[in-house]
Amino acid sequence: MAPIVKITDLDKYFGRLHVLKEVSVEVAPREVVCVIGRSGSGKSTMLRCINFLEEPSYGSIEVDGIKVEAGQKGKQHKQLIHDIRLKTGMVFQEFNLFPHMSVLENVIEGPVTVKGMKRAQAVELAEQNLDSVGLLFKKDEYPMRLSGGQKQRVAIARALTMEPRVMLFDEPTSALDPELIGEVLNVMKKVAKDGMTMLVVTHEMGFAREVADRVLVMAEGEIIEDENPADLFSHPKDPRTKALIDRYRTGGA
Amino acid sequence: MSESTVPRDPADQVARGNLLYEEQQRRTRHFRANVILWWVIFLVILLILFSGQSIFGLQTINLDMDFFKINFSFIAKGIPETLKVSAASIILAMVLALLAALGRLSKIPPVYALSTFYVSLIRGTPLYLQIFFFFLALPQVGIILPGFWAGVLALGLNYGAYMSEIFRAGLESVGKGQREAAIAIGMTPRQTLQRIILPQALRFAIPPIGNDFIAMTKDSALVASTGFVHEIMWRATKVGRATFHSLEALIIAAIFYWMMTLILTYIQSTIEARLSKGDR
Repeated sequence: MAPIVKITDLDKYFGRLHVLKEVSVEVAPREVVCVIGRSGSGKSTMLRCINFLEEPSYGSIEVDGIKVEAGQKGKQHKQLIHDIRLKTGMVFQEFNLFPHMSVLENVIEGPVTVKGMKRAQAVELAEQNLDSVGLLFKKDEYPMRLSGGQKQRVAIARALTMEPRVMLFDEPTSALDPELIGEVLNVMKKVAKDGMTMLVVTHEMGFAREVADRVLVMAEGEIIEDENPADLFSHPKDPRTKALIDRYRTGGA
Repeated sequence: MSESTVPRDPADQVARGNLLYEEQQRRTRHFRANVILWWVIFLVILLILFSGQSIFGLQTINLDMDFFKINFSFIAKGIPETLKVSAASIILAMVLALLAALGRLSKIPPVYALSTFYVSLIRGTPLYLQIFFFFLALPQVGIILPGFWAGVLALGLNYGAYMSEIFRAGLESVGKGQREAAIAIGMTPRQTLQRIILPQALRFAIPPIGNDFIAMTKDSALVASTGFVHEIMWRATKVGRATFHSLEALIIAAIFYWMMTLILTYIQSTIEARLSKGDR
């Protein structure tokens, strides 16, 4: 099957720092890909380049047939980036709900403001998605009154309500208290089960092992392994991968 | 017998908590009552200083009470004028401050430069001078504004430059993640600003804007010097000079300014309390 996400020869510099080195990845439709690696390995940057939260230095990004080359300028380039952003939903480590809007307003903001959807229709869609993350009863609350886990579930509903083709998760459970991680992972499993294509940057090895179709390991701006989780976790090839897995196995955060 | 041991009975524990709480409340009330008492004492001392009587051999300031009775209402008519100048100026200042703050975030060199140039020029020169400048310079290029609007222009430009810092702080108070979340759902920079950044930044900026408005009611006295805006200070100066009772006239003006400030500060603190209760 043709890939739905295709990252080709992606390079990214922060100032003089070379954080991504000719990274190429393909993700098939409905595939769940987890990206693991130590902090500073470039995994978040790669994810953020897909929807151009970071402008790649070189290379190209293709999502669902829309291809954007790095380093271009002008209206057409901006339009393509906008099109890619409509095809991708993103969930952040820090949730980033809009604090001045209620839960429901947070979720319908995208469809109404960006897509020009009728409010009633957006509300219907939003309520469906809030229901599926189990938070419909909180729709009139403000984010301040939610727990971290609830905030992240609302953030997932907000991203889903834009009806993206691909969901990007940037360390979605790293800012959560340990007892709240499970509820967010469960929602993510459900999203995966519903057939969403997902790229998940995470430290949750259990989730990667259980849910991922493939696991990418990144180190120093490169992808050092690209395997199915069963093989990766039982026979890591690269010593850095082994060290990474051991660190989590021995109970390190 | 030791009184500090924790009572075993839960009901006793609750009763002890209530006692502690009441004691705390009583102290707070006591403090407030004392502060009010001392305000009254200082006010009485102030009044005695202006009584004209000789106290313990010290002469106090002698005022003509008849002047107060005759001219009180003439000067009071300046209050609405002062409020009008201040309100119009603060609105102009807010618009300019917002534009200057946004300009400061711009990546377009002339826009960024205009913003910093404006703020630097205005903050680098006295307000008193700026007010005269608009009355003297504008007619030279054929622009003759009514005195009221020339005053508003000067005050608005001046406060706008200072308030731009408030708006800048407001914009910066909105975290980077908010912008990213908006961009990620496909919002344009303009939608992000209007729907996500500004509502949060303005909320942050409301209390300091209130403070500036209160300060403005007093700085607006400077436009009296041009002679075209008949607000409190202009009226006090005019009637004081004419009757050689400038001190009395200024005291009346001072009373009005002080009362206005007290009332506006009260309104301001009410708004602030309501905002901080909101769903931030």
